[in-house]
Amino acid sequence: MDNETPAEPIDLAPCKLACPILTDAREYIQLIAERRFDEAFAAIRKQNPLPGVCGRICTHPCETACKRGQVDEPIAIAALKRFSSDGPWKRQYKQPLPDKSTGHKVAIIGSGPAGLAAAHDLALLGHHVTIFEALPILGGMLRVGVPAYRLPKKVLEEEIQAILDLGIEVKTGVRIGQDIKLADLADEGYKAVFVAIGAHKDRKLGIAGEDELAEVVSAVSFLRAVNQGENPKVGKRVAVIGGGNTAIDSARSALRLGAEAVHIVYRRSREEMPAAQEEIEEAIREGSQIAYLTSPFEILGQDGKVSGLKCIRNELGEADPGGRRSPKPVPGSEFTLDVDMVIAAIGQVLDLSFLDGEPELGQREKRIHVEDPYTLETSSKGVFAGGDAVTGPATAIQAISAGKKAAISIDLYLKGEPLERAEPDKAVETQKLASAFIEKTGKFPRCEKTSLPKDDRLKGFEEVESVLSEDVATREALRCLHCFLGARVNKDRCVSCLTCVRVCPLGIPNTNKMGEIAIDPFACQACGMCALECPVRAIDISLDSRAEMARDIEDGIRRARHSGPVVLGFFDLHGNFGAEDVRSLKQNYPNIVPVMVFGLRRIDTSDVLKAFESGADGVFLAACPPDADPFPKETVRLKQRMEHARTLVEAVGIHGGRFEICHMPEEGLVEKEWVAAFIQNMGDLGQADSA
Amino acid sequence: MITLEQKKLDEILDMTKRCKRLLVMGCETCAAMSFAGGQRQVAELASAIRIAKKTSGDEGEVLEETIARQCEPEFVDLSGDKVSECDAVLSLACGAGVQLLAERFPDKIVLPGCNTTFLGVTEELGVWSERCAGCGNCILDKTAGLCPIARCAKQLLNGPCGGSMNGKCEISKDVDCVWQLIIDRLKRLNRLEMLEEIFPVKDWSPAGHGGPRKMVREDVKS
Repeated sequence: MDNETPAEPIDLAPCKLACPILTDAREYIQLIAERRFDEAFAAIRKQNPLPGVCGRICTHPCETACKRGQVDEPIAIAALKRFSSDGPWKRQYKQPLPDKSTGHKVAIIGSGPAGLAAAHDLALLGHHVTIFEALPILGGMLRVGVPAYRLPKKVLEEEIQAILDLGIEVKTGVRIGQDIKLADLADEGYKAVFVAIGAHKDRKLGIAGEDELAEVVSAVSFLRAVNQGENPKVGKRVAVIGGGNTAIDSARSALRLGAEAVHIVYRRSREEMPAAQEEIEEAIREGSQIAYLTSPFEILGQDGKVSGLKCIRNELGEADPGGRRSPKPVPGSEFTLDVDMVIAAIGQVLDLSFLDGEPELGQREKRIHVEDPYTLETSSKGVFAGGDAVTGPATAIQAISAGKKAAISIDLYLKGEPLERAEPDKAVETQKLASAFIEKTGKFPRCEKTSLPKDDRLKGFEEVESVLSEDVATREALRCLHCFLGARVNKDRCVSCLTCVRVCPLGIPNTNKMGEIAIDPFACQACGMCALECPVRAIDISLDSRAEMARDIEDGIRRARHSGPVVLGFFDLHGNFGAEDVRSLKQNYPNIVPVMVFGLRRIDTSDVLKAFESGADGVFLAACPPDADPFPKETVRLKQRMEHARTLVEAVGIHGGRFEICHMPEEGLVEKEWVAAFIQNMGDLGQADSA
Repeated sequence: MITLEQKKLDEILDMTKRCKRLLVMGCETCAAMSFAGGQRQVAELASAIRIAKKTSGDEGEVLEETIARQCEPEFVDLSGDKVSECDAVLSLACGAGVQLLAERFPDKIVLPGCNTTFLGVTEELGVWSERCAGCGNCILDKTAGLCPIARCAKQLLNGPCGGSMNGKCEISKDVDCVWQLIIDRLKRLNRLEMLEEIFPVKDWSPAGHGGPRKMVREDVKS
């Protein structure tokens, strides 16, 4: 009887929905857990052309949404993305270009994340893309805004090169509106334009002394100098005004360039600070001091140089419409910070100077105006716009999202089809996990970051954070709780036997009095017990389905082509082993057909019998160390089930010595002596009677 | 539910030894719920029989089939084509299912893969116990909802025998004396005086002692 696969529940995986480009983090996390690192990279790269960038500097809203965060700490998704993107396997990745060019020329103005993402996607759709960049180098804010200790230039350059390798033309040193006009582009045959020029101008502080003193600089120009390797001169005592990531970047850069003391001056409290928490922590670790609830009101000068910064303390008043409490100066709390340099980092705006030459490009509130935030079309036909220039300063992933949306719109526009309003951003709030489930969920600590010691950091701009090792990355990936990849009940097949309700280690399936079973796809952690025990096979599971396992068993044995006994080994992916261990197992023990499973608990008596039936001479199950097992009690049940399997195996005339359960060592896949003895024993017993 | 237990594999192998083309047929109601004859056990058992046939050098093919209930002729008949390809059917249903298969497929060998055990309840996953003997004349109103026919080894109707010790039956210290349970429950319900009513001699004819039972509902019957 054929089982119909139950309909997929609507996939509301929190990590996916939180990502502006709907990256399915589960997909590559699962592949990392399976030690299939090259496929993990391909899964990321097919959707995001800047994975190494995002793995380092993304504000990872996915982690904020992660269900594991309700249990202990979220999965280190960004670090896993970086791990996938840093490995040597990335060089094998090739994207298939369409056979034929569409013949359409598209101009991309700006080579930041929005422009690069659009260029990438459009090139893959067969359009001829040219990027126009005002600066002599590509990358936009990623290149001139983000310091190398967070995003090494080489990483960015390599990812840009891989995008350009799709056949994208580049023109640097060309500023739109000045060196070339949108009208010129049309004359040159460009059928569509994507304007993604970013927001590269700092807001003015608007306080006395700002324009008169040389040591008052804007963060954008300071960071641009830093990032272009100009080693700008910094003062001994530097004040950075602002509380965003640009302020933190400026402060940490200033310390690296020799500043003895850096004060970040922020008008609200730590709680309201818009910079990423980990960035704030790192800045403090490196020695930056933060003056919270402090506003500057005058820069003091002496002989044309900065001699101090007059500030006043604030207290927080009423919440503003955005929900942040407004700072109110406390009368009489004025004081002077002893500084000799001031960096203004209170936000960036679009540099509108060039747009005078482009009156058709509509502006509103000092940004480029788009008619529709989903299609990104402007009032000017064939001209689309996105990224910081449209939204104001935002994150890299938001810019990439804009670039991808623009690519979809431009492609439709070029084909003469109506534009699609791409799905609105699905900022669905993560469902709350019931406390009963949280209590029953195994706790596994998040991986520790490894970073340069403070003294080494301040010597230069070497990258601070290290990439995860393979071991750490796989362990981290195995923490994933597989939202929406778990059990699905086929209601037409269900006989309301309640087995799922009784076997679930978390108590997730529930029933009404008519026996209709419901399994919450968000709460389910895909342990696989219900799918295994269901006596009528009315439950299937998305992660590592039973059908996949059956295929792995049969295909693996069929493909085993060598003389000598064929041994099927079930390995629990939760063991402490790496990709190298898998490779060397295959090399050193060609007899072993490995079947990797997300938990040995998923193995049924029939799987063992199926292995023998398919021609295995021996079968063993390698259990992971109990402390690595997220469902240790269910693995105990496995042993009971395997006792039953043993009875059947022996009853059908197979020697009991052909079927064993062993324990994986603390490190590695198998105990060499054990597995050698097992294979030897198979040899002694002769080819299985079933062969 | 009707509880079932799969027969020992040796017995099954022995009875299916000569079958050249065997259909293992599951039943997805009571048999499945007893973990004795649902699709999962069909796969397991069919696999075991195939291996046994190979290891013992017997020829033969083993096919798999599962239907909703083997006690309904309409379901059984839907398997007709598959059954016709085989020389024998190993039914994993209760005795009723096995017999209906035999009735619908008069030319086929039909074999029982399970023992039908009792009418019972699930105590917990993997544990069932008997509650009803199907005697055809329910007296649970008089015995506080606890059945002495199904649960007393002697089927006593007027109180416990002398073998009731500390609430347990003399046959095993693991078996509750149902009469102790009845008394305890009547006490809790404040209806102990019900025991003063003497049960007359039980008429066992509805229990099958009057020959095979048949039930006809004139109002429902077509």
